[in-house]
Amino acid sequence: MSKKHGKHIAIYGKGGIGKSTTTSNISAALAEAGYRVIQIGCDPKSDSTTILRGGNDLPTVLDTLREKSKVKIEDVSAVGFGGVLCIEAGGPVPGVGCAGRGINAAVELLQELRLFEEYKPDFVLYDVLGDVVCGGFAVPIRDGIADRAFVVTSSDFMAIFAANNLFKAINKYAPSGGARLGGVIANSIQAPYAQSLIDDFTQQTGTSVVGYVPRSFTVSQSELYGQTVIEAVPKSEQADVYRNLARFIDENEDSVIPKPLNGPELKRWARTWGDRIFEVESGVVHNMESI
Amino acid sequence: MAHHIEGSRNSCALHGALQVIEAIEGAVPVIHSTAGCGAQHFLGVNRLNAGSDSFGGPPVASSNISEKHVVFGGSSRLREQLKNTVKIVEGDLYFIVTGCSTEMVGDDIPAMNKEGRDQDFQVIYANTPGFRGDVHQGYQLAVKALIEQLPTLGKAVPPKVEGLVNILGIIPHQDPFWAGNLEELGRLLEGIGLKANLLFGYDQGVSAWQKLPDAALNVVLSVWGEAPALLLEERYNTPWLALEGLPVGSAAGAFLRQVTERLQLDAHRTELFIESEEKRLNRYLASLADTYYRAGFQREFALIGESAQVVGVSEFLTRTLGLLPRTLIITDNPPEESREALILRLTTLLEGAGTELFFSEDHGEITDLVRNSGAEVVLGSALEEGVAAELGAAFLQLSFPLSDRVVLNRSYAGYRGAATLLEELGSAILSHSYQSRRILQESY
Ligand SMILES: Nc1ncnc2c1ncn2[C@@H]1O[C@H](COP(=O)(O)OP(=O)(O)OP(=O)(O)O)[C@@H](O)[C@H]1O
Ligand code: SF4
Ligand SMILES: [Mg+2]
Repeated sequence: MSKKHGKHIAIYGKGGIGKSTTTSNISAALAEAGYRVIQIGCDPKSDSTTILRGGNDLPTVLDTLREKSKVKIEDVSAVGFGGVLCIEAGGPVPGVGCAGRGINAAVELLQELRLFEEYKPDFVLYDVLGDVVCGGFAVPIRDGIADRAFVVTSSDFMAIFAANNLFKAINKYAPSGGARLGGVIANSIQAPYAQSLIDDFTQQTGTSVVGYVPRSFTVSQSELYGQTVIEAVPKSEQADVYRNLARFIDENEDSVIPKPLNGPELKRWARTWGDRIFEVESGVVHNMESI
Repeated sequence: MAHHIEGSRNSCALHGALQVIEAIEGAVPVIHSTAGCGAQHFLGVNRLNAGSDSFGGPPVASSNISEKHVVFGGSSRLREQLKNTVKIVEGDLYFIVTGCSTEMVGDDIPAMNKEGRDQDFQVIYANTPGFRGDVHQGYQLAVKALIEQLPTLGKAVPPKVEGLVNILGIIPHQDPFWAGNLEELGRLLEGIGLKANLLFGYDQGVSAWQKLPDAALNVVLSVWGEAPALLLEERYNTPWLALEGLPVGSAAGAFLRQVTERLQLDAHRTELFIESEEKRLNRYLASLADTYYRAGFQREFALIGESAQVVGVSEFLTRTLGLLPRTLIITDNPPEESREALILRLTTLLEGAGTELFFSEDHGEITDLVRNSGAEVVLGSALEEGVAAELGAAFLQLSFPLSDRVVLNRSYAGYRGAATLLEELGSAILSHSYQSRRILQESY
């Protein structure tokens, strides 16, 4: 690929974990700080950039491609909060076609249209659907697209499991020029043990947490207004949490190749946490870290 | 271990299925895949055979899907293609076959097939992506679909025929002499009072396939016919007789005796028929005797082809014609279970001859094996022409792909096929001797 324009960052995580919310708030915070930002939703649901655009309609790249043979950037992008250029790759309805190939095709088309050369962004954020289910979803972390990937997780085992899967994908692609891991974003922190659990997982896998985002009513409320927290409640603590995340991503370029746990290791690890949480909930007191 | 295959002569499952459909009169293939799949079939299979089928080759119907069908699913494209095909090409049966891309995407073919049925189209389908196997599995998948789905079409059932015998295991075009071989086998079965159901070729339409369940016996001429025979046994209790190879020359007599015994036919009648056939073949052999000794027919040969062909032809050349089997190469990748039996049968063909048997579909490897065999006669495909010349050996093309002859109903099976084989092998040896003599004279 030709010279990179801007820093390209992919955000992964289990379905419904808060990828789009977190990504949109980071985009908003970066834009607020004066950067040129593009956010690309790589998800057939095409709802990644909704809260940046006040919930307005945006034709997806693939839908447009299906109808016309020639697509222009203007047809498939909208300028959202703070000037963030919003793009949705789109994809098939559930149960038919190949969404993975769709992401591949959409990203290829955006490159062909010279989006990055024309728009000259400082940051490009890819909000990628759920788990890495097939090769197509790994496109953004393969050679030449994103430089760094972040994974959003909660303390739920399935979210950790998805994060571990992403680590496997990074582990596979990074040596041949694919993205490396920027870090883990801990989202929806609420339970008392959540933070320690995620910390421990990152320790086990040679990674680190780059920010803890509390579960917050502000997020839900802003979403109802069709806005990011940065836009709706700019003075809130939650907005600062996202600003800090954005600053970290901006200022810190460290990245690692994670060491994912294999199946049995992950199960064993989960079991130890199951025991600990049970003891906490049933009042057994240990001198346990940060609980 | 994984290894690469150079110049394979075994095309993909989709192509195997197309070869089945194209050899049935009135059957119209509808490919659901990218455009290259149909084109590749034309370039890699049809064009390497003389004569084309009614709906094969370049005009084959194909949904020619593109990226948007991969992303959003290609079922609607297939729906449209099926409708258009029914409008443009008149047929008794439309047969949807799929390629790799649409199967990766997971297009719902049964649903599209059902939609076609709801519109009263006579349509069946088979999932035949290349990754499911090669041309042989394609044959099996298409035949399975015919066995299972034809009865559900509600077509008028043709009247029952007594003494019907289905012939299974010959793959159109993969056996370049499929049409002639089927005709000859049909003639032989009729000679002992049976009626052969050839299934492919002239006058073999969809109704032939509807008669499959009526047969008294299924004759299986290659390992590839076993799965269909098993399926027919399961569904209709039809007994089957497996031969492992084409019966060539006297082997045809043995075959007819086996059938006679299985079906408890009039043995006397069978013997009379065999006797007359043998007599004629012997007469031909006698006429050849002079040339046989003068030109030195008794040479070492290398034979490269599908298992059924290698078995049939090598046994005839060795037992009847006294040629010496040096190297036999089986190219159709038979399953492990049947290899044992093939090895046993072929390496003991001629005690003490040190016949070597190999399984390979790799052009490079086959070439090396033939080169090292030092054979004086090479019988194989067009791909072996170069190494035969290198060896200075007489050369006869008899397995796929064939490049130097038009084949309409020539056969290398049965009694007549044996005579044809004699003629052609004899001609190859004679012209080879003639050429060698000329080269010799010119160099003085
Ligand atoms: N920190 C938080 N506090 C409260 N609610 C949150 C938080 N993060 C996300 N949510 C809510 O969780 C829901 C799912 O979030 P979001 O759509 O961002 O997830 P996603 O990972 O993008 O999901 P999908 O995989 O379906 O695309 C949304 O209603 C969002 O408002
Ligand atoms: S292998 Fe697959 S892609 Fe190639 S021709 Fe066969 S069906 Fe088509
Ligand atoms: Mg999302």
